[in-house]
Amino acid sequence: MGADQAWILVALPAAAFVVLALCGRWLPRQGDVLAVLAIGASLVLYFFVLHDFLHQRDGLVNSHEYWSIAMHHTWSNVGNFNLNFGTYVDPLSAVMVGVVTIAGTLITIFSIGYMKGEVRYWWFFAVLMGFIAAKLMLVLSDNLLLLYFAWEGVGVCSFLLIGFYWEKRSAAEAAKKAFITTRIGDVGLLIGIILLWKATGTFNIQDILTAATTGQIGHVYLFVSLMFIFLGAMGKSALFPFHVWLPDAMEGPTPVSALIHAATMVVAGVYLIARLLPAFEVVPASLLVVTIVGLVTAILTGFMALATTDIKKVLAYSTIGQLGFMYIALGCSHPDAAIMHLMTHAFFKSLLFLAAGSVIIGTHHNQDMKQLGGLWRKMPITAVTFLIGSLALAAVPPFSGFWSKDEIFHGTTAWNGGWVTFLLGFAAVLTALYTTRLFVRTFLGKPQDQAVYDNAHETGPVMVLPLIILALITCVAGFTVFNGVGRAMGFPGGFTEFVFLHEPERFVMNWSWAAASAVIAFGGVFLAGWIYWGNRITISTRLADWQPGVYNMLVNKFYFDDLYQAGIDRGLLGFSYVVSWFDRYVVNDTGVDGVADTTRYSGSILKYVQTGKVPAYALGIALGAVGLAIAGLVVRG
Amino acid sequence: MVPLENYLVLSAIMFSLGVYGVLTRRNAVLILMSVELMLNAVSLNFVAFASYLDPSKIIGAVFAVFVITVAAAEVGLALAIIIRLYRNRSTANVDEVATLKW
Repeated sequence: MGADQAWILVALPAAAFVVLALCGRWLPRQGDVLAVLAIGASLVLYFFVLHDFLHQRDGLVNSHEYWSIAMHHTWSNVGNFNLNFGTYVDPLSAVMVGVVTIAGTLITIFSIGYMKGEVRYWWFFAVLMGFIAAKLMLVLSDNLLLLYFAWEGVGVCSFLLIGFYWEKRSAAEAAKKAFITTRIGDVGLLIGIILLWKATGTFNIQDILTAATTGQIGHVYLFVSLMFIFLGAMGKSALFPFHVWLPDAMEGPTPVSALIHAATMVVAGVYLIARLLPAFEVVPASLLVVTIVGLVTAILTGFMALATTDIKKVLAYSTIGQLGFMYIALGCSHPDAAIMHLMTHAFFKSLLFLAAGSVIIGTHHNQDMKQLGGLWRKMPITAVTFLIGSLALAAVPPFSGFWSKDEIFHGTTAWNGGWVTFLLGFAAVLTALYTTRLFVRTFLGKPQDQAVYDNAHETGPVMVLPLIILALITCVAGFTVFNGVGRAMGFPGGFTEFVFLHEPERFVMNWSWAAASAVIAFGGVFLAGWIYWGNRITISTRLADWQPGVYNMLVNKFYFDDLYQAGIDRGLLGFSYVVSWFDRYVVNDTGVDGVADTTRYSGSILKYVQTGKVPAYALGIALGAVGLAIAGLVVRG
Repeated sequence: MVPLENYLVLSAIMFSLGVYGVLTRRNAVLILMSVELMLNAVSLNFVAFASYLDPSKIIGAVFAVFVITVAAAEVGLALAIIIRLYRNRSTANVDEVATLKW
């Protein structure tokens, strides 16, 4: 199977989605085996596609030449407007497909254990397959229209999965919030796509990029359309100010959280911007916007994570923060660093979420770290794998997160003045702090709630196995930054060069950068360990007492939710009130009832003209005739 | 030859008598007769104008014949209604049949 048949990777989970959605509940084991088989087959076929794709490069004379395999066919022809749908395999989409299929397979297997005995078991797997299929279509699409279709598919599936327990009001609300928040960005994306289409007459991504880089689109026009597209990415990636939906999305089952955070949902925005980065580079102002939004997001969510006690929500904030890091890398024109971090993040974040899910199952649905603690004795495997994920998240060497974050640090020198580097370092310290706090308060120290601790147990093999696999990947994935390792795996020129989009760049190990970022990571870890493990937790409570205003601001997530709620209450509902008033009193009472009342009232008065007496009518006719005759005479003159 | 004005004056007098009869009489049969008088006044007008404007064309006379035909049919219908009225209410006085109103 060659790379030009990459559509099969999408078709398999999509077919599983259709079968499971239609008749999943009557299949043996409610069809979970079918789901695992479909995504597993996609994973296996992916390696064939990758092999074929890498093989194609051998024919190129210049090893730095950029290569890709496009396959498209005409979908419709209207006048001189052609609509082509097709797949586009290049290093970027090859890496993305790998992340999605590997993480997707492991998460699907994990779900068998996690969702055991839940209501609508079959429906969960059906939507899971739809989710993965939509994301695969998104990264393989060769044109923006198909990409937008897949983008919305991802949105719908995330809505269905976040609201999986729709009987629970909070889950239904969270699903609605996620959908509406991302929809606001999606409208921007659609406007951006239409603007680009208007300027170039095509939806094909490569054609649009060519037009942008050769100056066929005016700079201001390009900037505006790219900002609209970035709006879509912000909504999907839960960047500030759209970050409010992601923590609430924790209402979904934990494997869904893992999938949303690692592979299918939030990184779609990173992919989109990375895909269109050559166009962004034409207008440096757009890169500055991307960088600033990334920085604000990374720092804000770092503070929010420090004041949260729900382990899944801490992970949610950490995801938004890491996405901020990726956007900073994109804003610095370093898509290789961004995609590298995307890949390592996908693995360690799905590991963390699955481990958190294991904690939740092992403690019988307890996820508040105020009631956990000391769990490592009861759940050793979960604890060790969680520790590996945490160290990767905190960017401690030699775990994968360190290498990719180091790459991002390196890239920030693209902006003069060092302010980006400084703020990024600050955000990295925050990351290390809250990650360590999370691990220490969950697994180390004394049990906070003896009953929870006594009933805790390690989870079964179907859940532990994906944890171990992901932990192993997390340990080694970072080494792919070294060109030698990448080359040994078959990526020509090393992994980062493979990912890099339009001109080759080699990973240069800079020891001073690496040392600095290691110091930052260790500093954060030790600070948090000193506070939370050393039973100096009173320091944090004393800090909270010392500045209750600041603390309350953090606990209340900087009041963004309240701000938006107030905006909805005052603005939207106020406007709705005016509209409903207009409808009720002007349209209905005056327009509809007014006409009816006038007719009825005039009828009630004029009806007395009808006396029923024949001579009266005759008189009326006679007078009318005379009147008409007089009128005729007057008019004629 | 009698001038046209004479016919027109006669017709006007007949028509006015008819209107007066319709407005003052209370017996349905007499009202009907007054209506006939009005119709005949109109017919006379038609015939007079036809002969005065162009004697070779008989279009006015034809119209008069049509008016007579329609008047005959109308009388037949109206008399039938009056008979039904008399059978039901034992009166032909139109003032006493005034229930068809609001």
